[in-house]
Amino acid sequence: MIAIIRSEWMKLRTTAVPWVLTGIALIVNALLILVIFLTRQDFSTSGSPPGYTVPHTTQQLRNLVGSGFQGYLFALLLGTLIVTTEFRHKTVTTSFLVTPVRSLLVAGKLVFAAICGAVLAVIMLVATVIGGGLTLDARGGSFSAMVHQIPAVAPGMILVFALFAILGVGVGSVLTNQVAAIIVVLGWFIILEGILVSLVHGAERWVPTGAAIAASNLTRGHGVDFGLFKWWQGGLLMLFYGLAFAIVGSLILTRRDIT
Amino acid sequence: MPSAIEVQGLSKEFGALRAVDDLSFEVAPGRVTGFLGPNGSGKTTTLRMLLGLVSITDGTATFGGRRYVELDHPIHHVGAVLEATSFHPSRRAEDHLKSVALGAGIPMARVGETLDLVGLTDVARRRVGKFSLGMRQRLQLATALLGDPEVLILDEPSNGLDPQGIQWLRTFIRHQASIGHSVLVSSHLLSEMEETVDDVVIVSHGKLVLQTTLADLAQQAGTSTGMRLRTPEMGRLRGILDAIPVGYVQTGDDTMSIAGATPEWLGPLAAQHQIVLYELVHDRGSLEDVFLSLTHGFDAADPNHMGAPAAPAATAAPAAPAAMPGGAT
Repeated sequence: MIAIIRSEWMKLRTTAVPWVLTGIALIVNALLILVIFLTRQDFSTSGSPPGYTVPHTTQQLRNLVGSGFQGYLFALLLGTLIVTTEFRHKTVTTSFLVTPVRSLLVAGKLVFAAICGAVLAVIMLVATVIGGGLTLDARGGSFSAMVHQIPAVAPGMILVFALFAILGVGVGSVLTNQVAAIIVVLGWFIILEGILVSLVHGAERWVPTGAAIAASNLTRGHGVDFGLFKWWQGGLLMLFYGLAFAIVGSLILTRRDIT
Repeated sequence: MPSAIEVQGLSKEFGALRAVDDLSFEVAPGRVTGFLGPNGSGKTTTLRMLLGLVSITDGTATFGGRRYVELDHPIHHVGAVLEATSFHPSRRAEDHLKSVALGAGIPMARVGETLDLVGLTDVARRRVGKFSLGMRQRLQLATALLGDPEVLILDEPSNGLDPQGIQWLRTFIRHQASIGHSVLVSSHLLSEMEETVDDVVIVSHGKLVLQTTLADLAQQAGTSTGMRLRTPEMGRLRGILDAIPVGYVQTGDDTMSIAGATPEWLGPLAAQHQIVLYELVHDRGSLEDVFLSLTHGFDAADPNHMGAPAAPAATAAPAAPAAMPGGAT
C-alpha cells in the first residue's frame, strides 16, 4: 500500500494536474478575499452591519478556505483526475501490470487522494490566513483574532477536503472517461444538487454538500447549520458515498478488458 | 524443467467474436519464441490475457504454473512491452520509470541502469510527449526490464523502430536468451524474426496453426519450387520442353518459369540443346512463404484444421509449395 501511494505521488506530481488545480484554487481564494475584504471599509466589530458575518468568525474563515465552499470542488476534481488521467493516457495498462489486483490499486488511490485532499486543505488554510489576515489587518480588523480561529476551523476543513477527494476517486473509478467524469461531477455540485435540494424537502442533509458541511462542524460541537446531521454522521455519510462509488468502480474495473 | 509460459485451451469471446479459440502452446525457458500470425489473428488478445489485462473466457494462461495476478510483485518476474502509447505526454522518461519502480519496490538505481540499457540516458529528463515512436518503444522496454524479469513478453516490439533499432532489438533479445531468460515475441512478419527466434508458435483466426522450432520450419522452406529463366531462344526452348513434356509458364517475351524444375535437371538440358540463357534463378520457398501459406491457407471454416493441436508433421498439407508466390532466394 505504501508502495502504491509513493508511486501515485510520483505519477501525480509529474503532471500539471496538482499544480494547476492548486493554482486555480489559490487564485479563486485570493479573488474572494479581495472581494470580501476590499468592499468593506471597516472591520472593527462595532462597525459591522448587523447580520453580516465579519471575517473573524469561524464561519467566515471556513468559507474563505473553501473559497465559499466551492473550494472543496478542487479536492473533488483532484480525486477524479487521479483515476481518469490514467485512462485518458492509457497509463492504466502499466499501473495494472504493476498492481494486477485492481481493487488494491483503487484502494491505494483512495488513501492517496485523501492525503492530497488534506494537504490541499492545509495549503488553502495557510494561504487564507496569510492573505486574509494581512488584508484584515490593513482594514482595521484583528489578525490575531483570525489566527485564533484556526484550531476551530482546520480539523473540519481537512476532514472535508479529504472526504471530497475520496468521493472524486470513487466517481472516477466508475466513470473512467475524463471528460464525462468532470462534467458529471461539476454538473452535480454546481447545478443538480441545488435543484434537488430545492425540490425535495429534507434532501439537504443527505446530499454530499450537506453531509460535508455537517462534517466540517467537527470542532464546533453543535450544529449551527439548521437541518444538517451531526459532524460525525455527515462525515460517515460522505465517506459512504465515496466508498460506495469506489467499490462499484472496482467491481466494474476488475471485469473490464484493458485493450 | 517447467515451461516459462503455458497456455492451455485459451479462449476469448468479444460478444459474438471468438478472438482466441482453444489456443494451447508453451514457451520453453531460456528460449526465444516467436508468436506469429497475421494482424487480427488474436496475438495481442492472447498476450493481454496472459498479463491479466483482458479477462479469459475459457482456459488458462500461466507463468510457471501461476497466473499473472497471483505472482508476487509480477513485474519482477514478467516484463511486458505492449503498445507504444501508454505514457503521460508531459511526464519525463525518468519519472515514468521512477513511478513504476516505486510501485513495485524496485531500487531507484535500477532506473538509471535500464535507461542506459536501452540507450535513453541522454533524454531521461525529456517529456515523453516529445519522444519518437522508436524512443517510446525503447522506454517501454526499459519499463519491462526494471524488475529484471526472467520472462519477457514483447508485442510487435519492432513497430516504429528504424533498421538500426531493429538490429539492436535482435541483439537485445538474443542476449536475454543467452542469460537464461525466456522471451515471447509477437510479430506479423516471420522474416523480421528469422534471426531472433528459436521456436515459433503460429496462429491464425485465433487458433494454433503450428508450434515447432525454427529449424524445423526452415527445413520445410528449403524445398525447391522451380526455376525461372530468361532466354533469347524462347521458341526453341518451348519446343524442347513440349516434347518432354514438362509444365511451364511463359511469363514475358523472353522469360518463363518451370514448376518443379531443379538446376541439376535444367542446366544439363540447356547445355545439351545449346540454348543461350541470360538468367537462371532457382526458386526456393522462403520462411516467409511457408508462414504466409500456413496462415493464409488456414481456413477457420475448414474442419480438417480446427482445434487439433498441430504436430509439426501436420503442416505438410497447408504448406503446399505449389500455392506459393514464387519468392526468389
